[in-house]
Amino acid sequence: MRHYELMVILDPSLEERTVAPSLDQYLNVIRTAGGSVEKLDVWGRRRLSFEINKKAEGIYAVVDLQATPEAVAELDRQLRLNESILRTKVIRPETR
Amino acid sequence: MAKAAALRKPKKKVNPLDKDGITYIDYKDTALLRKFISDRGKIRARRVTGVTSQQQRQIARAVKNAREMALLPYTATAR
Repeated sequence: MRHYELMVILDPSLEERTVAPSLDQYLNVIRTAGGSVEKLDVWGRRRLSFEINKKAEGIYAVVDLQATPEAVAELDRQLRLNESILRTKVIRPETR
Repeated sequence: MAKAAALRKPKKKVNPLDKDGITYIDYKDTALLRKFISDRGKIRARRVTGVTSQQQRQIARAVKNAREMALLPYTATAR
């Protein structure tokens, strides 16, 4: 088990209220693989410093989780398939 | 005149990270990272920032991560 931090940028046309529940659905991948989700933080709409897919804004969300590398890789793969997710980033904060 | 300038001791810089007690540079902390980039968006050199080489590498990585997530610009047209 390792500590990971996942950041996602979602399509700004999404309803902000629906972001947390829909992300939570994806996080079931982690839970079924024996990991745990420590924190789900939706930053909300934020201006991008450059356009991504012609969009000037994005909804940011940051997730802290404990999981195996395989579970995180699978979560990241599934997130990338969703077209309303503009970008993802997985980081291990301890490795610096 | 020129000789005097050559002999002048450079002013010792205070390390801005040690001063504030920052040990971990987070790519999400754009307010902190903005101190280490120029108004064009370029990463400032170590001789300008006055941090240690280890810290400079951490800053560089944090800035690059922040750029990937559109938190900081790759380039910014200066004014």
